Amino acid sequence: MPALQAERVSVRFGGVVAVDSVDLSIEPAAITGLIGPNGAGKTTIFNVFGGLQQPTEGKVLLEGRDITRLKAHARARRGMARTFQRLEVFGTLSVRDNIQVAAEIRKAWARDRSRPAAVADELLDRIGLRDVAESRVDAIPTGTARLVELARALATRPSLLLLDEPGSGLDHQETAALGDLLLDLASEGMAVLLVEHDVEMVMRVCDRVNVLDFGRLIAEGTPAEVQRDPAVQAAYLGAGDETLEEAGPEGRPSDTPSDRAAVG
Amino acid sequence: MTTFLSFTIVGIVVGCIYALTSTGLVVTYITSGIFNFAHGAIGMVAAFAYWELTVKEHWPVPLALLFVLFVLAPVMGFLIDRLLMRNLHGKPEVITLVITLGLMLFLLGLAETRWDPGFPRTIPKFFAGHDVNLFGVVVSYHQIVVVVVAVAVAIGLRLFLFRTRSGIALRAVVDDPGLAALNGAPPARVRSMGWAIGAMLASLAGILLAPLVTLDILLLTLLVINGYAAAIVGRLRSLPLTFGGGLLLGLFESYAVGYVPGSLLSQLRPTLPVIFLFVALLILPQDRLRVGRAAGRHTTRVPALRTTLMAAGGFVVVAWFVSGQLSVTNLITGGEGLVVALVLLSLLLLTGYGGQISAAQLTFVGFGAFAMGRLGEGGSLLGVFAAVGLAAAGGALVALVTLRVRGLYLALSTVAFAQAMVTVFFQNNNVFGQGGALGVARVHLPGISLQSDRAFFVACSVVFAAAAIGVLALRRASFGRRLAAMSDSTAACATLGMNIAWTKLAVFTVSAGLAGLAGAFYGGLRGSVGSNDFQMLNSLALLLLLAIWGLDSVTGVLLAGLSYALFPVIQSHVPSIHSLVFLATGLGALGLARNPDGVMSKLAPAGDSLRGWWAKRSRGAPLPGERLQGEIVPDEEEALAGVAG
Repeated sequence: MPALQAERVSVRFGGVVAVDSVDLSIEPAAITGLIGPNGAGKTTIFNVFGGLQQPTEGKVLLEGRDITRLKAHARARRGMARTFQRLEVFGTLSVRDNIQVAAEIRKAWARDRSRPAAVADELLDRIGLRDVAESRVDAIPTGTARLVELARALATRPSLLLLDEPGSGLDHQETAALGDLLLDLASEGMAVLLVEHDVEMVMRVCDRVNVLDFGRLIAEGTPAEVQRDPAVQAAYLGAGDETLEEAGPEGRPSDTPSDRAAVG
Repeated sequence: MTTFLSFTIVGIVVGCIYALTSTGLVVTYITSGIFNFAHGAIGMVAAFAYWELTVKEHWPVPLALLFVLFVLAPVMGFLIDRLLMRNLHGKPEVITLVITLGLMLFLLGLAETRWDPGFPRTIPKFFAGHDVNLFGVVVSYHQIVVVVVAVAVAIGLRLFLFRTRSGIALRAVVDDPGLAALNGAPPARVRSMGWAIGAMLASLAGILLAPLVTLDILLLTLLVINGYAAAIVGRLRSLPLTFGGGLLLGLFESYAVGYVPGSLLSQLRPTLPVIFLFVALLILPQDRLRVGRAAGRHTTRVPALRTTLMAAGGFVVVAWFVSGQLSVTNLITGGEGLVVALVLLSLLLLTGYGGQISAAQLTFVGFGAFAMGRLGEGGSLLGVFAAVGLAAAGGALVALVTLRVRGLYLALSTVAFAQAMVTVFFQNNNVFGQGGALGVARVHLPGISLQSDRAFFVACSVVFAAAAIGVLALRRASFGRRLAAMSDSTAACATLGMNIAWTKLAVFTVSAGLAGLAGAFYGGLRGSVGSNDFQMLNSLALLLLLAIWGLDSVTGVLLAGLSYALFPVIQSHVPSIHSLVFLATGLGALGLARNPDGVMSKLAPAGDSLRGWWAKRSRGAPLPGERLQGEIVPDEEEALAGVAG
């Protein structure tokens, strides 16, 4: 059974169709990619999954159960965790406290014997945040703050992890480390949805890739299949001067501006 | 039928005035994103200026009208925007709220100083003495003028917004300031225009209303609550709905006056707009969880438990020593300062840590004083428990009713609650007894007498120190981290599984309970309490005071409390300045436009270097570089002990 499933989800803002009857499924123990040009509706569908946006039509199923009307906090308690495209860190708290408070919030609803301080300690090492553990989060670089959001999400021990551009603001080396971490998490059984600009990373780590354009799902398949898809080529050619193929697995480092313009 | 018609006409006339003022409020809000609590105060100042020009200086009416509406009002709006609001873009909502609240208190204080409230004034109606008979109902020319003006303004505003370049620019800025700027509409100028139009409409409403009621500073300022209610009906966005809301409120009030039995009415009447506002707020659709990063907030570093305990102990010792040197009067003044500090501490927990805004903190203090007065006869400890319990229950109730709203709407709800409680509860003869004063005993501990002024002063300091330890311990604990997290990003907390409602309920309950405890001691200190002690405006002054000193500094709270208690003392030396409290706190809050983090954030570096110097001296070596950037704040409790000494 898929960890998360969208069934014909549509979102309309007034006359604008942001998401148009999208079917999508996220499997456990795998990384599912979601890419598309700017304004394709990635963040909107992301918010539908997270419970911050009600779909105009369609259903969202979490492990087979309809959660379309469930509020954000109730979804979290069923094992869903997420990060934000625009940072939503707890800026006045230290990095350690950001993670610890997430573990404490989890402990409050899970009512188990977990030790939040220990959870925070472990995640500081695992995500590589030990050096900045005592800094206030609004004083650290944006890329690092994204990792804090990731660590915070993991502190709730989710079975499903939704990531909205976790790699932006990271350098090449950090991106590679993030990719390894995500592969690790998937191998432990976690279902991961990855919305990402960095096509190289998407192609490297994802098991399946979904491509959105103008709110519609135009392609779904393995990274290799998606890259060859003519519809995908067209969508990206229309948006920039570079094809998806060129930025593929063996492509250049994707942090260059032209790449961003093409895939953004 | 004639009765019905006459109440309808009165309702429409008053409703038109509400519609005018609330339209101005909404125009300012949609152009600047700032809800102007001082809107009514601006109208009040305009009405008094108009009185001064026509009645005192004998200017011709048209000239005075022209001057007030087209010179004074726009200039006021323009100056407010330029001097105060310009820098507030992207600042935390509580700061923008506090600044307009400060403006309201400042204008109130200014008006009471300029125009002695003890001196009755009236503004003659327009075309006084002329009236027409409409189906057997006498309608004055003034009433007709009001309706005609309101309709003209509505049509004029519509034409302005849809047919003129400036109006279209204004609407564009509302939709998307960045985009409008790209297309050549400077948001700054449009914002100034929004403030000017808002001030003109407030002034117009003030001048039209004043002849119908009395020319009273407080009355005209608080009439803005009716404006708030109508504006909420329009969701702070839609001008036609706002206009309709104003009319509806006018009619609702008028029919209530006409058809509700007199005895019930005398109780209900002052609260009608408040009830309307409350209902309008409650039927608002639930606030969506919003994402979007707020600007970095300044926070005060939380000292370690050991430091807190030492400082608190030191503080009590100092208080005990100082109490021996103080006269009875000064003991009472100082004790009041400590009690006010305790109230501010409860507000610090709620607003500074929890990010929830309350304009009703004195209401909970009042509940506490009431419970102590009724159940604490002979100083029984039961009274203190009842005080905490009743106030906590009140806080829980407010939280439950307002679970769905936050920020501005929460502030408005608590304003409505505080105002309603004053008229329904505190001014009720059954509550504080005939004469409006309820005797409150000083708490009596087994084996320790607290009846002397000195002993009670020391008891107050012990209670404050204990409460400060408790609040800081709460901040260090998991609950405190969760409050900070909720305050930083409610959306993120929800996606981690936090039940926001429970957390909010908990912090409201604890905060109100603490305020109730303060109430028991306030009553004991004064010997008796009355409804005047728990006015909504004074609650606002306390909120301002907290913001002025820094929302989350315990040292700041103590200094704020002591300074607040000194106001009456200073006031007695400058009788020419009425309501010094409002003037001073208002002015202080306006200062937040320059330094939104408050006084303590400025004192902090000084305290820090002092500590560094001290450490160097005592250890002969510099402090290890343990302080991180953005954390340059002194250990509060050390400063606390130092200052109290």
